[in-house]
Amino acid sequence: MYLKELTDISGVSGYEKKVREFIMEKIKEKVENIKEDNLGNLIAFKKGRERKKLMISAHMDEVGFMVSNIEEDGKISVIPLGSVDLRAVIGKKVIIGEREIPGIIGYKAIHLQRDDTLTPPSINDIKIDIGAQKKSEVEGRIKIGDFVAFAPNSMIHKEWFSGKGLDDRGGCSLLIDLINKDLNLAYDTYFVFSVQEELGLKGARISAERIMPDFAYVIETTTSGDNPEFSQDRRSTELGKGPVITPAHSGYVNDERLFNFAIKVARENNIPFQIKRRTVGGTDARAIALSSGAPSLVISIPSRYIHTPLCVMNLSDYENTLRLFSILLEKEVE
Amino acid sequence: MDLVDVLMKLSNLDGPSGYEEEVIDYIKKEAQKISKTDIEIDKLGNLIVRKEGRGKKIAIFAHVDEIGFIITKKEFGNFFRFSTFGGIDPKAIISQRLRFHTRDKDIAYGIVGMLEPHLQTDESRRKVPSLNELFIDMVENVDKVNIGDIGNFSSEPFLLSEKYLTGKALDNRAGCAVLLYIMEILNEFVQRSESFFVFNIREEDGISGARGICYRIKPDLAIILDVTHGDISRPSYPRIETGKGPVLDIGPMISYEYFERIKNLAEKISVNYQIEPTGGVSNTDTDIIQISAGGIPTLLISIPLRYMHTPYEIVNIKDLEETARLLAHFIARGGE
Repeated sequence: MYLKELTDISGVSGYEKKVREFIMEKIKEKVENIKEDNLGNLIAFKKGRERKKLMISAHMDEVGFMVSNIEEDGKISVIPLGSVDLRAVIGKKVIIGEREIPGIIGYKAIHLQRDDTLTPPSINDIKIDIGAQKKSEVEGRIKIGDFVAFAPNSMIHKEWFSGKGLDDRGGCSLLIDLINKDLNLAYDTYFVFSVQEELGLKGARISAERIMPDFAYVIETTTSGDNPEFSQDRRSTELGKGPVITPAHSGYVNDERLFNFAIKVARENNIPFQIKRRTVGGTDARAIALSSGAPSLVISIPSRYIHTPLCVMNLSDYENTLRLFSILLEKEVE
Repeated sequence: MDLVDVLMKLSNLDGPSGYEEEVIDYIKKEAQKISKTDIEIDKLGNLIVRKEGRGKKIAIFAHVDEIGFIITKKEFGNFFRFSTFGGIDPKAIISQRLRFHTRDKDIAYGIVGMLEPHLQTDESRRKVPSLNELFIDMVENVDKVNIGDIGNFSSEPFLLSEKYLTGKALDNRAGCAVLLYIMEILNEFVQRSESFFVFNIREEDGISGARGICYRIKPDLAIILDVTHGDISRPSYPRIETGKGPVLDIGPMISYEYFERIKNLAEKISVNYQIEPTGGVSNTDTDIIQISAGGIPTLLISIPLRYMHTPYEIVNIKDLEETARLLAHFIARGGE
C-alpha cells in the first residue's frame, strides 16, 4: 500500500509527472512492458493465460489549481483544475510549481466580514500568499502556468487514513499492489495509470483507443455521504462496508455482465461489498466505453470529502477492494 | 534568543482559552533563560515576570491563549458536533485537521467535514455550511473523546519567505515571543522603571486573565501587546501594512499622553510605526485593563497580521523585531 507516499505527491491534472515517476519506480521490474504515451498515461503490460485483453485503470491526477496571474501586491491568482470546492480551500497550505514553493490560501478575517460569512468565495477571492509584498518579489520564482497543489498532509490513524488527493491515488496505490502481487492473470492485462481524469476523462479515452480492450475495470475512490445530517436513504456509500460496485453513473450505465460477475465473485469469497446508490459523478469507465466500446465497470473505495484538501478512507475498505480485484483479475469473466 | 525559533515553538503549542498550561510552561522555561528575576504563575495560570528598576511601574501584557473548539455532542460512529470560541469562520475550517486533547491526555485528530459537493443540491452548494451544520470526523482515538474536550488547529508553522512566518495562533503568540524578546533586550539596558511582563490567559473567550493582575500590581502604565489586521483595506480606516512596523492604537481606551510619548520615541530611535484608530471597543484586553484597579492609563501596541483566526496567520518578522526594539527602549526610559 502506497497511500501515504502517493497522496503526498503533487500531481494536479496535467502535471502528473512526479506521480508517474513514483509509480514507474515501483512497478517497472514487475511488468513485461511499460511505456508512457503521448499524453503522459503510463501503460504497463503483463501476459495472462488467454489472449484476450483486459484494461484496468486508475487516474493519477488530483484536483488543484494553476497560476493565472501574479498581482501587483505579490498575491497569486489561480484558476481551478478540476472541480475544487472553493468552500473547502481557505486557510490551506499549497505547493506551487516544480520548485515546490509553499504558499497559503488566505482570506479576509472573520472580524472584517459582514453578511458574507456564509457566502462561498468566488475564484477571484482565492489568492495565494507566498510571503511577498510586491509583484517583483514573486516574479522569477513563480510563473503563470505553474501548478498549485494542496500541500502533503497524509496521516495514518490505525484503521483510518486522512490526506489530500485520495481521488484517485487510492486507486493508483491499489493498482500498484495488484501489479506487485504476481497474480495468475486470466487475460493479457494492461494496467493504465491515466492523466487528466478531472478535466474530462482525457487520459483513459486515449489509452483505451490504443489498447482496444475486451473488458475494462476502473478503480476509483468515490463519495460516501455517510454524514450525520444526511439521512441513510440518501447516502451514496458508507465507509467500512467494503468495495463499491457501480451499476451506473453520470454518462455511463456500467456493463451488466461485469457488474453481475463482480457481485458473484464478492459473494463467493465472502468479501463485503456495497452497490453505489447514487449516480452522480462520471469516471474513466465512460471514456473507455466510448472510445473502445469495451464493456467497463467501476469499483471504488468509498471515501469522504473527496475534492477537498483532506479526505478520509477506512483502510478495511482498501483491503477488501484489493481482495476483490485480486480475484477478479485471475478469473475469466462469466 | 532566536525570535523565529521561539515563535515557531509557541505556534505549535496548544492553548485555547482556559487550557493554556502547556504554553505557559514553555514561556516560563524561556523566561528563566533570559531573566534571573522573579517569575511567578498566579492562581489563575497567568505568568508574571518582574524586572527590577527605579521608576514607574509598567506592566506589559500579551495573551497566550488561542481560539478553540469544544466537543458538544456525539452523533454516531466517528461524528461529533462542536462549538467554538474566539470568532471562527466556517469557511476557514472546512477540511481542516483539528487536534483535540482528551481528559486522559491523549491526542485525538478530527477532520471538519461537510457533505461532498457531488451529493449536495444546487441550493446548498450556493451556501457555506454554518458552524452548526459542520461536524468533526474523529479518525484517531475516537473512543477516548468526550463531550467537553478541547481542540485547536493542527497546522504547523513554517517560514513562508525570508520575511514572513506563518502558522496557527500567531494571534497572540507573536505578542508572547516579542515580550520575551523585550526582556532579553532589556538585559543590556539600565532600566528606569519597574516592569512586569504578563503572559495572561483567556483573551479569546472574553474573560481576560489580565484583570486580576492589575489589582495586584496597580501599574502606572499598562501596555497591551496584541495583533491587528494587516494588508487589507477597510473602508474609512487607514490601511495597516505588514513590514511597516508596530501599530500604535489611538482612541478612548488609550492614554493620549503616553501615546504621544511612545510616538515621539519611535521617531527619535527611527522605528517605523503606523497609527490605527480604534473606537469604543478594541476587542483586546485593553478594554478591561483600562477600567481595572481604579483606572489604568493604557497603550495598545499591535503587530500587523494577515488572515487572523485562520489556521495560517502570517506575520512579518521585522515587525516583531521593531516592536520589541520600540517597547524595550520605552520601558528602559520609564515610559518617557
